[in-house]
Amino acid sequence: MLLRICEWLQHNGFIVFVNSSVVTASTLEIIHFVSFFVLVGSLVAVDLRILGLAARKMKSGSLVQYAFPWMWTGFIVAVISGFLMFAIDATEYLHNTVFHEKLYSLLFTLIFAIIIQKNVGKWDQSPQTPVFAKLIALLCLVSAVAMILMGVDVPALTGVG
Amino acid sequence: MFHLAIEFARWLQSTKLGVGILESGWVYPYVQLMHFTGLSLWIGTNLLLDLRLIGVGRKLNTIPELFDALFVWNWIGFFIGIGGGFLLYSTAAITFTRNPAFQIKLGILIPLGVILHIYVQSKARQWGQAEETPGIAKLMGFVELLVWLAVVTSAILIPYFAAEP
Repeated sequence: MLLRICEWLQHNGFIVFVNSSVVTASTLEIIHFVSFFVLVGSLVAVDLRILGLAARKMKSGSLVQYAFPWMWTGFIVAVISGFLMFAIDATEYLHNTVFHEKLYSLLFTLIFAIIIQKNVGKWDQSPQTPVFAKLIALLCLVSAVAMILMGVDVPALTGVG
Repeated sequence: MFHLAIEFARWLQSTKLGVGILESGWVYPYVQLMHFTGLSLWIGTNLLLDLRLIGVGRKLNTIPELFDALFVWNWIGFFIGIGGGFLLYSTAAITFTRNPAFQIKLGILIPLGVILHIYVQSKARQWGQAEETPGIAKLMGFVELLVWLAVVTSAILIPYFAAEP
């Protein structure tokens, strides 16, 4: 079933079109890179704040309120642009375990970001940042970096993309 | 000047550094990781600051507050990114030096972007004191954003340009 969907994607006229010319393909890449820079930059800045390593004059919640709308925008744009680039080689990516690892780290990053967003207000009310908060921030940082590593490993180790 | 750059590139490519990264088989992705993680911090926070200057998005934090908050890790990101970039460059220094897109990226766009960024950071406190963000602040934020987008564009276009002789 998944294989059929991937085959359909690979031959879909729009997917072929956006990946076929230098202009459209490189535009997709540029969009993907810039959006993940915004995603990771915003998220890592917040993680570092929660860990007490950055922006200590500002409350964590304050930084989240500014940065997270941009983080989510970057996230959505990165996923859409990533999907369009995935789709042209969908059948190859389907069984690519390194690509699966990238998606898992993306999922963990998403989960940790949601936990941070939902709890940061409460964490700010404690006199000291709770240990749980620091643990989540550290895990979030690690999964974001893992996501980048898996992203570069896919072409480097498997030759796809 | 170009001749000097090529000679430097030739020497660098022959050192254990460039050769070692390629021959090891596993180091190269970690060098890319270093470059992209550093850039995520550098360009990611640059864009956040530029967007705040332009006035897009929430204005919950003052401009100086945001600039101060992100200053250290913004520049840590720059140096990590440059470090990773230098290591990547060392693996194929001659090819990169001869590549027109790389020449534009490193020779023009990155120096321009860094100068603009230093200027914007130095003015952030003054600009933040006005009740309304001055027009010049919005313009400089927008221009800096465009320059960093151009840097990413030139980087992505490197593989599409054959090296000049």
